[in-house]
Amino acid sequence: MNQPLLSIRNLTVEFHTDSGWIQAIDDVSLDVGEGECVGIVGESGSGKSVTALSILRLHDPVTTRLPSGAIDYRGTDLLRARGSALRKIRGREIAMIFQDPMSSLNPVLTIADQISETLRRHQGLDGATARKRVVELLSLVRIPDASRRADDYPHRLSGGMRQRVMIAMAIACRPRLLIADEPTTALDVTVQAQVLDLLRELRRELGMSVILITHDLGVIAEFAERVAVMYAGRVVEQAPVGALFRQPVHPYTRGLIDAVPGLDSEARRLTMIPGRIPGPQEMIPGCRFGPRCAWVQEDCRKAPPPMQPVSDRQSARCPPRVAALDVCDA
Amino acid sequence: MSDIAGRTNVVIAPRVPRVLRRLLQHRAFVIGFSIVMLLTLAAVLTPLVSSADPTAMKVRLRFRPPSSAFWFGTDQFGRDVFIRVLYGARVSLFVGFAVCVVSGLCSAALGVIAAQFRRLDGPIMRLMDALMSFPAILLALGIAAALGPSVSSVVAALSVAYIPAGVRIVRAAGLTVREMDYVKSAQISGASSLRIITRHILPNCFSPLLVHLTFIFAYAMLAEAALSFLGVGIQPPIASWGNIIAEGRDYATEAWWIMLFPGIAISLAALSLNLLGDAFGDLLDPRLKGGE
Repeated sequence: MNQPLLSIRNLTVEFHTDSGWIQAIDDVSLDVGEGECVGIVGESGSGKSVTALSILRLHDPVTTRLPSGAIDYRGTDLLRARGSALRKIRGREIAMIFQDPMSSLNPVLTIADQISETLRRHQGLDGATARKRVVELLSLVRIPDASRRADDYPHRLSGGMRQRVMIAMAIACRPRLLIADEPTTALDVTVQAQVLDLLRELRRELGMSVILITHDLGVIAEFAERVAVMYAGRVVEQAPVGALFRQPVHPYTRGLIDAVPGLDSEARRLTMIPGRIPGPQEMIPGCRFGPRCAWVQEDCRKAPPPMQPVSDRQSARCPPRVAALDVCDA
Repeated sequence: MSDIAGRTNVVIAPRVPRVLRRLLQHRAFVIGFSIVMLLTLAAVLTPLVSSADPTAMKVRLRFRPPSSAFWFGTDQFGRDVFIRVLYGARVSLFVGFAVCVVSGLCSAALGVIAAQFRRLDGPIMRLMDALMSFPAILLALGIAAALGPSVSSVVAALSVAYIPAGVRIVRAAGLTVREMDYVKSAQISGASSLRIITRHILPNCFSPLLVHLTFIFAYAMLAEAALSFLGVGIQPPIASWGNIIAEGRDYATEAWWIMLFPGIAISLAALSLNLLGDAFGDLLDPRLKGGE
């Protein structure tokens, strides 16, 4: 692969809480290529959103520290970029959409006002041109009767429509990278499919890279090209989407895939992963999945397992399983 | 400029009738608003349409009870209480309004700063706590006494006394709003802190503050009356509702009307402003929550 668009290297993020500094994500590395769609999947609290917010440096600087790591975006280290440089990248180069369409639009401004704000700032458009562009954008995200809708306030739109407006806002300046943080979680299943279709089309038309954060493996399977599985603040497995579903290496990934109900087989009880995800304040010395893992070995409990390549594009943080695969291959 | 005008038209035009309709259907709003307008008109128009002098003394006509000649009677100097109450409205309403504006602006600014810049939150809020630990009227009394009696010192004193409550309200709203995704979304789209504050945070903190200010308006009028009554407020012969009552106190048993009518005026104004405050509370919330 040539130079990636965005490259996260060994990122660790810690938050200050009443009980001291706790680690939200630990040693996360992730590349996003030009035009590529990378999925980040994991349970609540696994550090998906923290990773995404770090890319745009949206954490409160007072209560956050970054002991290690770098995020390289086309030669700029986003973690060390200064205010004005960062503001140029935000919105114009990298945009983001959020999970909750109800709170992601300002209730006191019309839709046109909110979308045109970015256009005016980054592209210096005047009022009339910006408005024309807003209507174009709204039609692009398939909002019917766009010119009339533009003057509506957010409370007059449904959840799916608001999410479309969010997408319109995000793509207003044709960003190279779109971060979608659970874009469909709060929507009905049918609306979910529409929003995903829309994202897919826009991606093709605009040639954007997308980081898609979700806990829904179905969405990942349908949308992403490459997947990073996160567990308790660490990336435990990275693979192209096909390989991940065909041959999950990490026991956690396997557990996740086994827990998805199938349509083909007859009704069966879903396989569960025993136990629960540890909180960030619980210090588990070795592999954080260890206490729930059927393959756990003595070494796993001692030190955090390293990320090891399985094939040239797949890697996992589980030495016993990687070793077992190597034996099979040989 | 042209685009701003254009946009305003586009935004406001379909909204105004809807808002107006809702306002007119709200009984508390209609009653409150009518009384406030009536008092304001009386205060503004009196000197324009009448040459009656609120300080003119007619020594032979002292302590006349209410009659067709003197609707509210006369006081110890033979001044017409009705005219004095009308002129008093100018002072009292001005004080109420000015206190609202000054304390409203200050609390909006301080509250938003405290909510947005977390490092300043501690110092600002501790200062507000310190101010709050005095009873408002006592604090105002001290400041007004220090500044010397005048309309502007009353306004300054009462504004300072009412700022802490406003700051708390704005800060609380600001803390909620700053966590909203649309604020993050504005940050992501590259907006500066100032822009985020003025465009996204302040407008969404406005409705609780507005409701609070209608109550402050009423409190400020009552407090002005108290300060004048205690002698550190507006000084005679300038009439304010408070000092008419203060002057009439000595004659309360013989000439009840001197105290009664400005008292009614104060109650009426306070009542109507409270009605307005309730109405704003009702009307602003559902709009923000969505739907008609």
